[in-house]
Amino acid sequence: MQNSLAQRRQGLGWSQQRLADELGVSRQTIISIEKGRYDPSLPVAFRLAAVFECAIEELFTPEPS
Amino acid sequence: MEGSTMKRSRWGRARFGGSSAVLISISLVIGAAISATAGGLFVVLGDVERPILAFALMVAFTLPTAAALGWALLVDRATLAGAADKPEDSIESAWYDKAASGAFGDVLLVGGLGAGGFALTWIEGPLTWGLSGLVLFAMLDFAVRYQWLKRAAA
Repeated sequence: MQNSLAQRRQGLGWSQQRLADELGVSRQTIISIEKGRYDPSLPVAFRLAAVFECAIEELFTPEPS
Repeated sequence: MEGSTMKRSRWGRARFGGSSAVLISISLVIGAAISATAGGLFVVLGDVERPILAFALMVAFTLPTAAALGWALLVDRATLAGAADKPEDSIESAWYDKAASGAFGDVLLVGGLGAGGFALTWIEGPLTWGLSGLVLFAMLDFAVRYQWLKRAAA
């Protein structure tokens, strides 16, 4: 799953640790999501969308087939 | 989130309150009780020549693990420095699940093949050794799988 997490986080001027603390997850989780190596659970996706004030589908897009 | 406003420390605090020192002290007491029980059972149930030495060795070797168990049971993880508030949503939880399920399959395979091998070859040995070996294999397998997943994500 591709995502715009890194750009949006940097747009807020937040570190990966800051975002991890906001979501209540580990920093490694943020690193892996940003690299596209880990698809977060639905609750985390909703929390991300709330943090960045956007819809989930604006954050995540499926890999092109 | 209560945990984020609470002062955190390396060793954390107990679920019922108190400082880290209190938590560590109680953990040591619990560990000592568990170790003494294990040592006592070992001496009473086993055929040992030097019971006091055997008891002391048993306590010495099991105390660190038993105290760690006491600490793990009592600590409020929200007071631990660096602990995520929702560990179940973190990638480490996914690694744990994958490593555990993989190790379970491996244990079934190795245990089944081992049992079959022993049955066919009529090799006999102490059951304790076989079960201990299987548990050790399961732990090592899990650790290797977890580390492999961790490195792959780095």
